[in-house]
Amino acid sequence: MINIKLNVNGKDYDLEIEEDLRLIDLLRDRLGFTGTKEGCGEGECGACTVILEGKTVNSCLLLAIQAHGKEITTIEGIGKEDDLHPIQESFLENGAVQCGYCIPGMVLSAKALLDKNKNPTRKDIREAISGNLCRCTGYEKIVDSIEKASKILQQRGSESHEQL
Amino acid sequence: MGVTRVLKAYSIEEILDVMEKYGEKVELLAGGTDLLVDIRAGKNKGSVIIDISDVKEMKKIEIGEDDIVLGALTTFTDIAENDYLKENVTGLWKAAKSVGSPQIRNMGTVGGNICNGSPAADIVPPLLVLDAKLNIKSRSKQRKIKLKEFYMENGSRNLRSDELLYSISFTKSRDKNIRIGFEKLGLRNALAISRISCSVYAIIGENNRIENIRIASGALGKYPLREYALEKFLKDKNLNDGLIEEAAEIFSHEVKQRLSGRSSCPYKKEAVKGIFKKAISFEGE
Ligand SMILES: Cc1cc2nc3c(=O)[nH]c(=O)nc-3n(C[C@H](O)[C@H](O)[C@H](O)COP(=O)(O)OP(=O)(O)OC[C@H]3O[C@@H](n4cnc5c(N)ncnc54)[C@H](O)[C@@H]3O)c2cc1C
Ligand code: FES
Ligand code: FES
Repeated sequence: MINIKLNVNGKDYDLEIEEDLRLIDLLRDRLGFTGTKEGCGEGECGACTVILEGKTVNSCLLLAIQAHGKEITTIEGIGKEDDLHPIQESFLENGAVQCGYCIPGMVLSAKALLDKNKNPTRKDIREAISGNLCRCTGYEKIVDSIEKASKILQQRGSESHEQL
Repeated sequence: MGVTRVLKAYSIEEILDVMEKYGEKVELLAGGTDLLVDIRAGKNKGSVIIDISDVKEMKKIEIGEDDIVLGALTTFTDIAENDYLKENVTGLWKAAKSVGSPQIRNMGTVGGNICNGSPAADIVPPLLVLDAKLNIKSRSKQRKIKLKEFYMENGSRNLRSDELLYSISFTKSRDKNIRIGFEKLGLRNALAISRISCSVYAIIGENNRIENIRIASGALGKYPLREYALEKFLKDKNLNDGLIEEAAEIFSHEVKQRLSGRSSCPYKKEAVKGIFKKAISFEGE
Protein backbone atom coordinates (compact mmCIF):
# COMPACT_ATOMS: atom_id res chain seq x y z
CA MET A 1 0.00 0.00 0.00
CA ILE A 2 1.14 3.55 -0.69
CA ASN A 3 -0.13 7.03 0.08
CA ILE A 4 -1.07 9.45 -2.62
CA LYS A 5 -2.43 12.98 -2.66
CA LEU A 6 -4.31 14.35 -5.58
CA ASN A 7 -6.95 16.92 -6.45
CA VAL A 8 -10.04 15.77 -8.31
CA ASN A 9 -12.55 18.34 -9.56
CA GLY A 10 -11.19 20.96 -7.16
CA LYS A 11 -11.20 18.78 -4.06
CA ASP A 12 -8.08 17.42 -2.32
CA TYR A 13 -7.79 13.74 -1.46
CA ASP A 14 -5.22 11.97 0.66
CA LEU A 15 -5.52 8.22 0.17
CA GLU A 16 -3.91 4.92 0.88
CA ILE A 17 -4.06 2.71 -2.21
CA GLU A 18 -2.76 -0.53 -3.65
CA GLU A 19 0.44 0.12 -5.55
CA ASP A 20 -0.74 -1.18 -8.90
CA LEU A 21 -4.18 0.45 -8.82
CA ARG A 22 -5.07 2.11 -12.13
CA LEU A 23 -6.29 5.69 -12.16
CA ILE A 24 -9.66 4.64 -13.60
CA ASP A 25 -10.25 2.26 -10.69
CA LEU A 26 -9.29 4.91 -8.17
CA LEU A 27 -11.72 7.38 -9.74
CA ARG A 28 -14.63 4.97 -10.13
CA ASP A 29 -14.34 2.54 -7.23
CA ARG A 30 -12.64 4.56 -4.51
CA LEU A 31 -13.95 8.06 -5.24
CA GLY A 32 -17.26 7.24 -6.94
CA PHE A 33 -16.69 9.27 -10.10
CA THR A 34 -18.51 6.70 -12.19
CA GLY A 35 -19.02 9.08 -15.12
CA THR A 36 -15.58 7.92 -16.21
CA LYS A 37 -16.31 4.78 -18.26
CA GLU A 38 -14.21 1.76 -19.06
CA GLY A 39 -14.58 0.45 -22.58
CA CYS A 40 -11.58 -1.38 -23.99
CA GLY A 41 -9.15 -0.97 -21.08
CA GLU A 42 -6.26 -0.57 -23.48
CA GLY A 43 -6.16 2.95 -24.80
CA GLU A 44 -8.22 2.46 -27.95
CA CYS A 45 -11.69 3.83 -27.19
CA GLY A 46 -11.32 6.96 -25.02
CA ALA A 47 -14.36 6.20 -22.82
CA CYS A 48 -12.07 6.58 -19.79
CA THR A 49 -10.73 10.02 -20.82
CA VAL A 50 -10.02 12.49 -18.01
CA ILE A 51 -8.09 15.76 -17.97
CA LEU A 52 -4.79 15.53 -16.09
CA GLU A 53 -2.95 18.84 -15.60
CA GLY A 54 -4.79 20.35 -18.58
CA LYS A 55 -4.24 17.43 -20.97
CA THR A 56 -6.52 14.56 -21.91
CA VAL A 57 -5.31 11.10 -20.93
CA ASN A 58 -6.75 7.58 -20.92
CA SER A 59 -7.26 6.79 -17.24
CA CYS A 60 -7.15 3.05 -18.04
CA LEU A 61 -3.50 3.44 -19.09
CA LEU A 62 -2.26 5.28 -16.00
CA LEU A 63 -1.41 3.98 -12.59
CA ALA A 64 -3.00 6.08 -9.86
CA ILE A 65 0.47 6.81 -8.48
CA GLN A 66 1.25 8.77 -11.66
CA ALA A 67 -1.39 11.29 -10.59
CA HIS A 68 0.27 11.93 -7.23
CA GLY A 69 0.36 15.68 -6.55
CA LYS A 70 -1.69 16.49 -9.65
CA GLU A 71 -5.04 17.94 -10.67
CA ILE A 72 -7.64 15.87 -12.45
CA THR A 73 -10.96 16.83 -13.98
CA THR A 74 -13.59 14.18 -14.61
CA ILE A 75 -16.99 14.67 -16.24
CA GLU A 76 -18.43 15.36 -12.75
CA GLY A 77 -16.17 18.43 -12.58
CA ILE A 78 -17.51 19.89 -15.83
CA GLY A 79 -21.15 20.46 -14.95
CA LYS A 80 -23.92 19.29 -12.65
CA GLU A 81 -27.25 17.87 -13.76
CA ASP A 82 -29.00 21.15 -12.93
CA ASP A 83 -26.12 23.30 -14.13
CA LEU A 84 -24.76 21.85 -17.36
CA HIS A 85 -21.68 23.12 -19.14
CA PRO A 86 -22.40 24.71 -22.56
CA ILE A 87 -20.67 21.72 -24.22
CA GLN A 88 -23.06 19.34 -22.46
CA GLU A 89 -26.08 21.52 -23.28
CA SER A 90 -25.04 21.62 -26.89
CA PHE A 91 -24.65 17.81 -27.07
CA LEU A 92 -28.21 17.42 -25.75
CA GLU A 93 -29.78 20.13 -27.92
CA ASN A 94 -28.17 18.81 -31.09
CA GLY A 95 -29.09 15.20 -30.54
CA ALA A 96 -25.47 14.07 -30.25
CA VAL A 97 -26.16 11.58 -27.49
CA GLN A 98 -27.48 8.10 -28.17
CA CYS A 99 -26.40 5.35 -25.76
CA GLY A 100 -24.18 7.90 -24.03
CA TYR A 101 -21.28 5.61 -23.20
CA CYS A 102 -18.70 7.62 -25.12
CA ILE A 103 -20.08 11.02 -24.13
CA PRO A 104 -18.18 11.80 -20.90
CA GLY A 105 -14.90 11.19 -22.72
CA MET A 106 -16.07 13.19 -25.75
CA VAL A 107 -17.06 16.14 -23.58
CA LEU A 108 -13.68 16.12 -21.81
CA SER A 109 -11.79 15.99 -25.11
CA ALA A 110 -13.95 18.87 -26.34
CA LYS A 111 -13.31 20.82 -23.13
CA ALA A 112 -9.53 20.37 -23.42
CA LEU A 113 -9.72 21.57 -27.03
CA LEU A 114 -11.86 24.65 -26.32
CA ASP A 115 -9.67 25.63 -23.37
CA LYS A 116 -6.73 25.91 -25.80
CA ASN A 117 -8.44 26.91 -29.01
CA LYS A 118 -11.50 29.14 -28.71
CA ASN A 119 -12.38 29.01 -32.37
CA PRO A 120 -11.56 25.55 -33.73
CA THR A 121 -12.25 24.44 -37.30
CA ARG A 122 -14.23 21.26 -37.91
CA LYS A 123 -10.93 19.60 -38.74
CA ASP A 124 -9.48 20.67 -35.37
CA ILE A 125 -12.57 19.24 -33.68
CA ARG A 126 -12.32 15.91 -35.51
CA GLU A 127 -8.67 15.69 -34.61
CA ALA A 128 -9.36 16.49 -30.93
CA ILE A 129 -11.93 13.69 -30.63
CA SER A 130 -10.01 11.20 -32.76
CA GLY A 131 -9.16 9.18 -29.65
CA ASN A 132 -12.82 8.88 -28.63
CA LEU A 133 -14.76 6.15 -30.40
CA CYS A 134 -18.53 6.34 -30.75
CA ARG A 135 -20.39 3.30 -31.98
CA CYS A 136 -23.75 5.05 -32.30
CA THR A 137 -23.77 8.53 -33.76
CA GLY A 138 -21.44 8.64 -36.75
CA TYR A 139 -19.71 11.68 -35.17
CA GLU A 140 -21.39 14.33 -37.35
CA LYS A 141 -23.71 15.59 -34.61
CA ILE A 142 -20.93 15.46 -32.07
CA VAL A 143 -18.78 17.71 -34.25
CA ASP A 144 -21.79 20.04 -34.79
CA SER A 145 -22.34 20.23 -31.04
CA ILE A 146 -18.74 21.10 -30.25
CA GLU A 147 -18.71 23.72 -33.00
CA LYS A 148 -21.89 25.30 -31.61
CA ALA A 149 -20.58 25.15 -28.05
CA SER A 150 -17.47 27.05 -29.14
CA LYS A 151 -19.70 29.80 -30.56
CA ILE A 152 -21.75 29.99 -27.36
CA LEU A 153 -18.61 30.15 -25.22
CA GLN A 154 -17.12 32.88 -27.41
CA GLN A 155 -20.33 34.87 -27.22
CA ARG A 156 -20.44 34.54 -23.44
CA GLY A 157 -16.79 35.53 -23.29
CA SER A 158 -17.42 38.74 -25.22
CA GLU A 159 -20.62 39.54 -23.26
CA SER A 160 -18.78 39.28 -19.97
CA HIS A 161 -16.15 41.61 -21.41
CA GLU A 162 -18.82 44.16 -22.28
CA GLN A 163 -20.12 44.06 -18.73
CA LEU A 164 -16.69 44.94 -17.37
CA MET B 1 3.98 -11.56 -14.50
CA GLY B 2 2.42 -9.97 -11.48
CA VAL B 3 3.43 -6.58 -10.13
CA THR B 4 4.90 -6.77 -6.63
CA ARG B 5 6.03 -3.18 -6.07
CA VAL B 6 5.49 0.22 -7.63
CA LEU B 7 7.92 2.98 -6.70
CA LYS B 8 7.99 6.59 -7.74
CA ALA B 9 11.25 8.35 -8.57
CA TYR B 10 11.80 12.09 -8.87
CA SER B 11 15.45 12.14 -9.88
CA ILE B 12 17.93 10.16 -11.96
CA GLU B 13 19.76 9.24 -8.76
CA GLU B 14 16.64 7.69 -7.30
CA ILE B 15 15.94 5.70 -10.47
CA LEU B 16 19.49 4.36 -10.67
CA ASP B 17 19.47 3.41 -6.99
CA VAL B 18 16.31 1.35 -7.37
CA MET B 19 17.57 -0.19 -10.62
CA GLU B 20 20.77 -1.25 -8.90
CA LYS B 21 18.89 -2.68 -5.95
CA TYR B 22 16.31 -4.70 -7.87
CA GLY B 23 18.32 -5.54 -11.00
CA GLU B 24 16.47 -7.63 -13.55
CA LYS B 25 13.19 -7.34 -11.68
CA VAL B 26 12.79 -3.69 -12.63
CA GLU B 27 10.68 -2.28 -15.44
CA LEU B 28 10.46 1.48 -15.92
CA LEU B 29 7.15 3.25 -16.40
CA ALA B 30 7.42 6.39 -18.56
CA GLY B 31 4.09 7.20 -20.23
CA GLY B 32 2.76 3.71 -19.59
CA THR B 33 0.98 3.42 -22.94
CA ASP B 34 2.83 0.21 -23.77
CA LEU B 35 3.53 -0.99 -20.25
CA LEU B 36 -0.02 -0.76 -18.91
CA VAL B 37 -1.27 -2.81 -21.86
CA ASP B 38 1.48 -5.36 -21.11
CA ILE B 39 0.68 -5.48 -17.39
CA ARG B 40 -2.96 -6.12 -18.18
CA ALA B 41 -1.98 -9.00 -20.44
CA GLY B 42 0.50 -10.33 -17.86
CA LYS B 43 3.34 -9.62 -20.30
CA ASN B 44 5.34 -7.10 -18.30
CA LYS B 45 9.04 -7.91 -18.14
CA GLY B 46 9.60 -6.69 -14.56
CA SER B 47 7.66 -7.13 -11.32
CA VAL B 48 9.06 -3.96 -9.72
CA ILE B 49 7.74 -0.94 -11.57
CA ILE B 50 9.46 2.44 -11.21
CA ASP B 51 7.31 5.37 -12.22
CA ILE B 52 9.75 7.82 -13.81
CA SER B 53 7.08 10.06 -15.36
CA ASP B 54 7.82 12.95 -12.96
CA VAL B 55 11.58 13.12 -13.41
CA LYS B 56 11.69 16.72 -14.66
CA GLU B 57 15.22 16.74 -16.04
CA MET B 58 14.28 14.05 -18.57
CA LYS B 59 11.41 16.12 -19.96
CA LYS B 60 12.95 18.68 -22.26
CA ILE B 61 13.56 19.73 -25.82
CA GLU B 62 16.84 21.63 -26.14
CA ILE B 63 17.54 23.36 -29.42
CA GLY B 64 21.24 24.08 -28.92
CA GLU B 65 23.89 25.67 -31.13
CA ASP B 66 25.10 22.41 -32.61
CA ASP B 67 22.76 19.73 -31.33
CA ILE B 68 19.13 19.09 -30.62
CA VAL B 69 18.48 17.08 -27.47
CA LEU B 70 15.23 15.35 -26.59
CA GLY B 71 14.86 14.14 -23.01
CA ALA B 72 13.66 10.52 -23.00
CA LEU B 73 10.41 11.64 -21.34
CA THR B 74 9.55 14.11 -24.10
CA THR B 75 6.01 13.28 -25.18
CA PHE B 76 4.72 13.12 -28.75
CA THR B 77 2.59 16.19 -27.91
CA ASP B 78 5.70 18.10 -26.80
CA ILE B 79 7.21 17.45 -30.24
CA ALA B 80 3.98 18.12 -32.13
CA GLU B 81 3.65 21.52 -30.38
CA ASN B 82 7.25 22.57 -31.05
CA ASP B 83 7.42 25.11 -33.88
CA TYR B 84 11.16 24.79 -34.40
CA LEU B 85 10.88 21.05 -35.00
CA LYS B 86 7.87 21.57 -37.23
CA GLU B 87 9.81 23.98 -39.45
CA ASN B 88 13.22 22.39 -39.40
CA VAL B 89 12.86 18.70 -38.58
CA THR B 90 9.57 18.13 -40.34
CA GLY B 91 9.82 14.35 -40.65
CA LEU B 92 10.24 13.96 -36.91
CA TRP B 93 7.36 16.31 -36.25
CA LYS B 94 5.09 14.46 -38.70
CA ALA B 95 5.91 11.14 -37.07
CA ALA B 96 5.01 12.49 -33.61
CA LYS B 97 1.75 13.92 -34.94
CA SER B 98 0.85 10.63 -36.58
CA VAL B 99 0.89 8.66 -33.34
CA GLY B 100 -2.32 7.11 -31.98
CA SER B 101 -4.70 9.72 -30.59
CA PRO B 102 -4.37 12.98 -28.66
CA GLN B 103 -4.53 11.05 -25.38
CA ILE B 104 -1.77 8.64 -26.44
CA ARG B 105 0.36 11.56 -27.68
CA ASN B 106 -0.10 13.33 -24.34
CA MET B 107 1.15 10.29 -22.42
CA GLY B 108 3.50 8.38 -24.73
CA THR B 109 7.18 9.29 -24.70
CA VAL B 110 10.02 9.14 -27.19
CA GLY B 111 12.11 7.04 -24.78
CA GLY B 112 9.28 4.54 -24.37
CA ASN B 113 8.81 4.33 -28.14
CA ILE B 114 12.50 3.54 -28.66
CA CYS B 115 12.89 1.18 -25.68
CA ASN B 116 9.71 -0.80 -26.20
CA GLY B 117 11.33 -2.00 -29.39
CA SER B 118 8.30 -2.41 -31.63
CA PRO B 119 9.16 -2.75 -35.33
CA ALA B 120 6.44 -0.16 -35.97
CA ALA B 121 7.63 2.47 -33.45
CA ASP B 122 6.87 5.65 -35.38
CA ILE B 123 9.46 8.02 -33.94
CA VAL B 124 12.34 5.65 -34.70
CA PRO B 125 12.63 5.92 -38.52
CA PRO B 126 13.01 9.74 -38.47
CA LEU B 127 15.53 9.48 -35.63
CA LEU B 128 17.43 6.84 -37.64
CA VAL B 129 17.71 9.13 -40.65
CA LEU B 130 18.84 11.96 -38.37
CA ASP B 131 21.58 9.55 -37.24
CA ALA B 132 20.52 10.12 -33.63
CA LYS B 133 22.58 9.09 -30.63
CA LEU B 134 21.27 7.65 -27.39
CA ASN B 135 22.60 8.84 -24.08
CA ILE B 136 22.41 5.87 -21.69
CA LYS B 137 23.09 5.98 -17.96
CA SER B 138 23.66 3.48 -15.19
CA ARG B 139 25.15 3.73 -11.70
CA SER B 140 28.55 2.73 -12.90
CA LYS B 141 28.81 4.54 -16.21
CA GLN B 142 27.40 6.68 -18.92
CA ARG B 143 27.65 5.78 -22.59
CA LYS B 144 26.58 7.08 -25.97
CA ILE B 145 25.62 4.79 -28.81
CA LYS B 146 24.08 5.35 -32.17
CA LEU B 147 20.40 4.57 -32.39
CA LYS B 148 21.11 2.19 -35.28
CA GLU B 149 23.26 0.11 -32.89
CA PHE B 150 20.48 -0.14 -30.32
CA TYR B 151 18.43 -2.87 -31.96
CA MET B 152 20.34 -6.12 -32.20
CA GLU B 153 20.11 -8.86 -34.80
CA ASN B 154 18.74 -11.36 -32.27
CA GLY B 155 15.80 -9.07 -31.54
CA SER B 156 17.07 -7.76 -28.19
CA ARG B 157 18.07 -4.22 -27.28
CA ASN B 158 21.51 -2.87 -26.52
CA LEU B 159 20.47 -1.87 -22.99
CA ARG B 160 21.40 -3.63 -19.76
CA SER B 161 18.86 -4.11 -16.99
CA ASP B 162 20.55 -1.47 -14.82
CA GLU B 163 20.59 1.07 -17.65
CA LEU B 164 18.24 3.87 -18.47
CA LEU B 165 17.81 5.84 -21.68
CA TYR B 166 18.37 9.41 -20.55
CA SER B 167 18.19 11.45 -23.76
CA ILE B 168 18.38 11.36 -27.54
CA SER B 169 20.46 13.82 -29.54
CA PHE B 170 21.13 14.62 -33.16
CA THR B 171 23.07 17.22 -35.08
CA LYS B 172 21.35 20.50 -35.75
CA SER B 173 21.88 21.29 -39.37
CA ARG B 174 21.75 24.69 -40.93
CA ASP B 175 22.01 23.51 -44.52
CA LYS B 176 19.11 25.06 -46.39
CA ASN B 177 19.01 22.12 -48.79
CA ILE B 178 18.08 19.53 -46.20
CA ARG B 179 14.70 17.85 -46.52
CA ILE B 180 13.29 15.44 -43.96
CA GLY B 181 10.16 13.49 -44.83
CA PHE B 182 7.97 10.91 -43.11
CA GLU B 183 4.98 8.91 -44.25
CA LYS B 184 3.04 6.08 -42.75
CA LEU B 185 0.24 3.85 -43.77
CA GLY B 186 -2.44 2.28 -41.71
CA LEU B 187 -3.77 2.55 -38.22
CA ARG B 188 -2.45 0.67 -35.25
CA ASN B 189 -5.74 -0.94 -34.65
CA ALA B 190 -6.59 -1.80 -38.21
CA LEU B 191 -5.10 -4.98 -39.66
CA ALA B 192 -1.64 -4.99 -38.14
CA ILE B 193 -0.41 -6.09 -41.55
CA SER B 194 -1.08 -2.66 -42.98
CA ARG B 195 1.41 -0.71 -40.89
CA ILE B 196 4.42 0.58 -42.76
CA SER B 197 6.38 3.77 -42.34
CA CYS B 198 9.25 5.44 -44.14
CA SER B 199 11.43 8.43 -43.37
CA VAL B 200 13.87 10.13 -45.73
CA TYR B 201 16.63 12.65 -45.01
CA ALA B 202 18.22 14.20 -48.05
CA ILE B 203 20.49 17.05 -49.02
CA ILE B 204 19.44 18.12 -52.48
CA GLY B 205 21.99 20.31 -54.22
CA GLU B 206 22.23 21.94 -57.63
CA ASN B 207 20.37 20.25 -60.49
CA ASN B 208 18.50 18.24 -57.87
CA ARG B 209 21.60 16.20 -57.18
CA ILE B 210 21.23 14.01 -54.09
CA GLU B 211 24.36 14.96 -52.17
CA ASN B 212 23.50 12.89 -49.13
CA ILE B 213 20.63 10.59 -48.32
CA ARG B 214 19.49 8.41 -45.44
CA ILE B 215 16.35 6.30 -45.54
CA ALA B 216 14.69 4.28 -42.77
CA SER B 217 11.59 2.12 -42.58
CA GLY B 218 9.22 0.89 -39.90
CA ALA B 219 7.48 -2.50 -39.76
CA LEU B 220 9.51 -4.01 -42.59
CA GLY B 221 11.74 -6.08 -40.30
CA LYS B 222 12.29 -7.13 -36.68
CA TYR B 223 12.84 -3.50 -35.78
CA PRO B 224 12.98 -0.18 -37.68
CA LEU B 225 15.75 -0.36 -40.27
CA ARG B 226 18.09 1.81 -42.29
CA GLU B 227 17.61 1.00 -45.98
CA TYR B 228 21.25 1.04 -47.07
CA ALA B 229 20.79 -0.54 -50.50
CA LEU B 230 18.30 2.12 -51.46
CA GLU B 231 20.52 4.90 -50.10
CA LYS B 232 23.44 3.62 -52.13
CA PHE B 233 21.34 3.53 -55.29
CA LEU B 234 20.11 7.12 -54.87
CA LYS B 235 23.25 8.89 -53.71
CA ASP B 236 24.78 11.30 -56.26
CA LYS B 237 21.93 10.83 -58.73
CA ASN B 238 19.58 13.60 -59.80
CA LEU B 239 16.24 13.45 -58.05
CA ASN B 240 13.38 13.28 -60.55
CA ASP B 241 10.19 11.31 -61.07
CA GLY B 242 11.87 8.63 -63.15
CA LEU B 243 14.51 8.04 -60.50
CA ILE B 244 11.89 7.86 -57.76
CA GLU B 245 9.96 5.23 -59.74
CA GLU B 246 13.11 3.20 -60.24
CA ALA B 247 14.04 3.47 -56.56
CA ALA B 248 10.53 2.40 -55.50
CA GLU B 249 10.94 -0.78 -57.55
CA ILE B 250 14.29 -1.47 -55.91
CA PHE B 251 12.79 -0.93 -52.46
CA SER B 252 9.91 -3.25 -53.31
CA HIS B 253 12.33 -5.94 -54.45
CA GLU B 254 14.34 -5.56 -51.24
CA VAL B 255 11.20 -5.92 -49.12
CA LYS B 256 10.11 -8.95 -51.14
CA GLN B 257 13.37 -10.70 -50.37
CA ARG B 258 13.38 -9.66 -46.73
CA LEU B 259 9.84 -10.78 -45.98
CA SER B 260 9.68 -13.75 -48.32
CA GLY B 261 7.45 -16.49 -47.01
CA ARG B 262 5.49 -14.21 -44.70
CA SER B 263 1.81 -13.63 -45.20
CA SER B 264 2.34 -9.85 -45.12
CA CYS B 265 4.86 -9.97 -47.97
CA PRO B 266 2.60 -9.61 -51.04
CA TYR B 267 0.89 -6.61 -49.51
CA LYS B 268 3.91 -4.86 -48.03
CA LYS B 269 6.08 -5.18 -51.12
CA GLU B 270 3.45 -3.26 -53.09
CA ALA B 271 2.43 -0.78 -50.38
CA VAL B 272 5.99 0.24 -49.67
CA LYS B 273 6.27 1.85 -53.10
CA GLY B 274 3.56 4.42 -52.41
CA ILE B 275 4.82 5.21 -48.93
CA PHE B 276 8.36 5.70 -50.17
CA LYS B 277 7.28 7.95 -53.04
CA LYS B 278 5.35 10.15 -50.65
CA ALA B 279 8.14 10.29 -48.10
CA ILE B 280 10.70 11.33 -50.71
CA SER B 281 8.43 13.97 -52.22
CA PHE B 282 8.49 15.69 -48.80
CA GLU B 283 4.81 16.50 -48.80
CA GLY B 284 3.45 18.70 -46.04
CA GLU B 285 6.73 20.47 -45.46
C1 LIG C 1 -4.13 3.04 -28.41
C2 LIG C 1 -2.65 3.08 -28.70
C3 LIG C 1 -2.19 3.63 -29.89
C4 LIG C 1 -0.84 3.67 -30.18
N1 LIG C 1 -0.43 4.21 -31.37
C5 LIG C 1 0.89 4.23 -31.66
C6 LIG C 1 1.33 4.79 -32.90
O1 LIG C 1 0.54 5.28 -33.73
N2 LIG C 1 2.66 4.78 -33.17
C7 LIG C 1 3.57 4.27 -32.27
O2 LIG C 1 4.77 4.29 -32.57
N3 LIG C 1 3.18 3.75 -31.09
C8 LIG C 1 1.86 3.72 -30.77
N4 LIG C 1 1.46 3.16 -29.58
C9 LIG C 1 2.45 2.58 -28.68
C10 LIG C 1 2.97 3.51 -27.55
O3 LIG C 1 2.10 4.57 -27.31
C11 LIG C 1 4.35 4.08 -27.89
O4 LIG C 1 5.26 3.04 -28.13
C12 LIG C 1 4.90 5.00 -26.80
O5 LIG C 1 5.96 5.77 -27.31
C13 LIG C 1 5.42 4.26 -25.58
O6 LIG C 1 5.95 5.23 -24.69
P1 LIG C 1 5.56 5.22 -23.14
O7 LIG C 1 6.27 6.37 -22.52
O8 LIG C 1 4.12 5.16 -22.96
O9 LIG C 1 6.25 3.84 -22.73
P2 LIG C 1 6.00 2.92 -21.46
O10 LIG C 1 4.79 2.10 -21.67
O11 LIG C 1 6.11 3.71 -20.20
O12 LIG C 1 7.30 2.00 -21.59
C14 LIG C 1 7.49 1.08 -22.65
C15 LIG C 1 8.75 0.26 -22.39
O13 LIG C 1 9.93 1.04 -22.51
C16 LIG C 1 10.67 1.05 -21.30
N5 LIG C 1 11.16 2.44 -21.10
C17 LIG C 1 10.40 3.56 -21.17
N6 LIG C 1 11.18 4.65 -21.00
C18 LIG C 1 12.44 4.19 -20.78
C19 LIG C 1 13.70 4.84 -20.55
N7 LIG C 1 13.80 6.17 -20.50
N8 LIG C 1 14.81 4.07 -20.38
C20 LIG C 1 14.71 2.70 -20.44
N9 LIG C 1 13.55 2.04 -20.68
C21 LIG C 1 12.43 2.77 -20.84
C22 LIG C 1 9.69 0.64 -20.23
O14 LIG C 1 10.36 0.03 -19.14
C23 LIG C 1 8.80 -0.33 -20.98
O15 LIG C 1 9.41 -1.59 -21.04
C24 LIG C 1 0.10 3.14 -29.25
C25 LIG C 1 -0.36 2.62 -28.03
C26 LIG C 1 -1.71 2.58 -27.75
C27 LIG C 1 -2.18 1.99 -26.44
S1 FES D 1 -11.19 2.21 -21.59
FE1 FES D 1 -9.47 3.48 -21.66
S2 FES D 1 -9.29 3.88 -23.74
FE2 FES D 1 -10.84 2.40 -23.72
S1 FES E 1 -23.46 7.55 -28.12
FE1 FES E 1 -23.21 5.42 -27.97
S2 FES E 1 -21.07 5.19 -28.17
FE2 FES E 1 -21.36 7.24 -28.60
